[in-house]
Amino acid sequence: MRTLAGVGSTPLAGVGVARWHRPADELALPPRPAPADVDVERERSRFEAARTEVREALETARSRTADRVGEDEAAVFEAHQQFLDDPGIVDDIQDAIDDGTPAPHAVSARFEAAIDQFEAMDGRMAERADDLRDVRDRLLAALLGVEAVDLASLPVDTVLLAERLTPSDTAVLDPDTVAGIVTATGGRTAHAAIIARALSIPAVVGVGDELDAIEAGTEVLVDGETGEVVVDPSAERRAAAGGVDATVRDAPVETADGKPIEVAANVGSVTELDPAAARGADGIGLFRTEFLYLDRETAPDEDELYAAFTAALAAFPDDRVVVRTLDVGGDKPISYLDLPTEPNPFLGRRGVRLSVDEHADLFETQLRALLRAAASAHGEGLAVMLPMVARLEEVTAVLDRIDAVADALETAGVEYAIPSLGAMIETPAAVFLADQLAERLDFLSIGTNDLTQYVMAADRENDGVAALHDPLHPAVLRAIDNTVTAAHAGDAWVGMCGEMAGDPALTSLLVGLGLDELSMSAVTIPAVKARIMETDTGEAAALAADALTCSTREDVRALLELE
Amino acid sequence: MERTVEVVPEAGLHARPASSLVQTVNAFDATVEIGRATDGDELVSANSMLAVTGLNVTQGESVRLVAEGPDAAAALDAVAAILTSAVEDEGEAS
Repeated sequence: MRTLAGVGSTPLAGVGVARWHRPADELALPPRPAPADVDVERERSRFEAARTEVREALETARSRTADRVGEDEAAVFEAHQQFLDDPGIVDDIQDAIDDGTPAPHAVSARFEAAIDQFEAMDGRMAERADDLRDVRDRLLAALLGVEAVDLASLPVDTVLLAERLTPSDTAVLDPDTVAGIVTATGGRTAHAAIIARALSIPAVVGVGDELDAIEAGTEVLVDGETGEVVVDPSAERRAAAGGVDATVRDAPVETADGKPIEVAANVGSVTELDPAAARGADGIGLFRTEFLYLDRETAPDEDELYAAFTAALAAFPDDRVVVRTLDVGGDKPISYLDLPTEPNPFLGRRGVRLSVDEHADLFETQLRALLRAAASAHGEGLAVMLPMVARLEEVTAVLDRIDAVADALETAGVEYAIPSLGAMIETPAAVFLADQLAERLDFLSIGTNDLTQYVMAADRENDGVAALHDPLHPAVLRAIDNTVTAAHAGDAWVGMCGEMAGDPALTSLLVGLGLDELSMSAVTIPAVKARIMETDTGEAAALAADALTCSTREDVRALLELE
Repeated sequence: MERTVEVVPEAGLHARPASSLVQTVNAFDATVEIGRATDGDELVSANSMLAVTGLNVTQGESVRLVAEGPDAAAALDAVAAILTSAVEDEGEAS
C-alpha cells in the first residue's frame, strides 16, 4: 500500500484498475521539412479541413455534453469553438504556413505560445490553458490523422490516470465504467474537474509527477474526499472509503417483508449493456434510442435498430427491456432530422408528437425493428415506451401504426410479434389521464426529470429556478401518487426512470408510493437494491402517506431526514 | 463611442460569457475593443476569444468598451447586455 496526495475534486471514492491515457505520445509532430519543400496551398487547405472537422466535433461534444451532463458544462465547448475561430490564432497560423511552416507545426507553435501566455498568469487562468490544449490536440489529431483514444468505452472499473484530462476527454467518460480519475496536474475548478463532478466520477487532481510511478494494471483507490490516491489499498482502506464495496446482487430483490421490486438500468447504447448487467440490473427500464441517431449523417436503418434491440434482449435474456421510441425535439440538434428551431423546445414539437406526425417515417422504421425484435430469441421481454404523451389520441395513433406495421410484416412474410406498450408519464396531462392510459396500455413509467420540470413550470437548465426543480415538492409527489394509483386500478405496472429512482435516500419513499419498478444509472443499482431489502412496505407506505400530506419541500425533506 | 460597465456574470469574462461576447461582436460590422476600466488605454480586440479571455477579468470588475462603425451603438448595447446579466437568457421570455 502506497499513498499519494493530491486535491480531492469529486468527493466520492472508487477502486479500480489503473489505466493510462497518454495522448501526447500519439500527437508527436513529424520531422519538419525545409520551408522551400512545403506546399503552401496544400498546407492551407489541410488546416482549413482540420478546422472544419474540429468545428463539427466540438458541436457534437457540445450537444452530447448538454444531454448527458448539462447545459452549463456544455458551455465550455462554445468557448472552444471561439478559440478555434479566433482571428488572433487563425491569422498567425495562416501567416506561418505562408512562410513555409507545415500546418501541424504552425498549429503546435501558435497554441504553445497562447498556452504559455495563460500559464504565466494566476491559478485559474492556468486552468483555462487546458481549454487551449484541448483545441490544439483536436486540431493536431485531425491534421495527423490520429484516431482519438476511445475514452467513451473503457473497461468496467477503470481508474483513469493522466498527466491532464481535457474537458472533451472527461465529457465522454462513462460513470458506470470509470471508477475514478487521477491527474498529475489541474485544479478542482478546471472545466474537466467540473464535468467529472457533474458525472459523479471520483476524482483527485494535482497529484504531481509521482503519479508516473503508478503502473497500468495496478489496483488503485481514489478518495476524492481526502484527496488521497492509494496504490494496492488494504481491505481496511477500501472499507473505510465507504460505499466502495457495495455488494452486487444479480438476482432480483424484495423488501424485508417480501414484496418484489424490479431494479432496472437506464442505458443509451449497446456498450452500456454489459456494465449494467455487471451491476446487477434486473433488466433495462429505459433504453434511450435517440443516442442511436446522434453523431451521424443519416438515420439508422431498420436492421441497425433491430441489431441494437436484439443485443439488449440477449444481454438480459430473462428480463424485460423497455425501449423508448425516438425522443428528440428542438433542443437536440440532429442535422438530418431538420428539427424546428423553437423559442420553447421543451413545450414544442418533440417525442411522440413528432413520431405520429412529421417523423412518422422514422417511427415506422422503429416499429418494424421492434416488432421483428419481439419475435426474436428473447423477444417476449420486449416493451415499447412512448415519450412525452399528453393525449389519448397519441396512444390511439400509435396502436393504429403498430397494427399497420404488423399487417405489412405479415404480408411480407416477416416474423413479428406485438411487444407490450407503455407511456412515459412526464406531462401533467398524462398524470391527469393516467387512469385512461392505464386502461389501454400495459405499463406507465414516470420520468421524474421532465415531470418535475412541467409540474413545477421550472426549466431544468435555468439555475434561477433550481430550487423549484426538485421532485420532493409535494405537488410532484402527488403527481406520482396519482399515477401509481391510476396504473394499479387499470392493471398496469408502474415504474420510474428519472434521476429520483436512483437515489438510495428516496428508496423507501418510492416503495411506499407503490412503484413496481425503479430504473436508474447502473452505478446506483447495488445501493438501491440494498435499501429495498431493508425496507418494510408497511412503514414505507406510512412514510409516503405522511409525505403526501406535507405542505412544503422542506417538510418533505425533514420527514425523510435529509440534510 | 464608448461605455464602461461592471461585469455581472459569475464566470467573469470566461467560458460562456466570453464566448457569447465574441459571438455577438462578430455579428456586428462595428469593431469593438475591450479592456479593464482601470488600465487606461490597454484595449484588446473583442472578436478574439484568446484576447478577451486573456484579460482575465473577474466578476465585479469594470470594463471599458470602445466601438467604431456604422452599428457601433447597437453593438455596444448588445455587448453591455451580456456583461450585465447574471444568467444568460437562453430562450424567449414567456
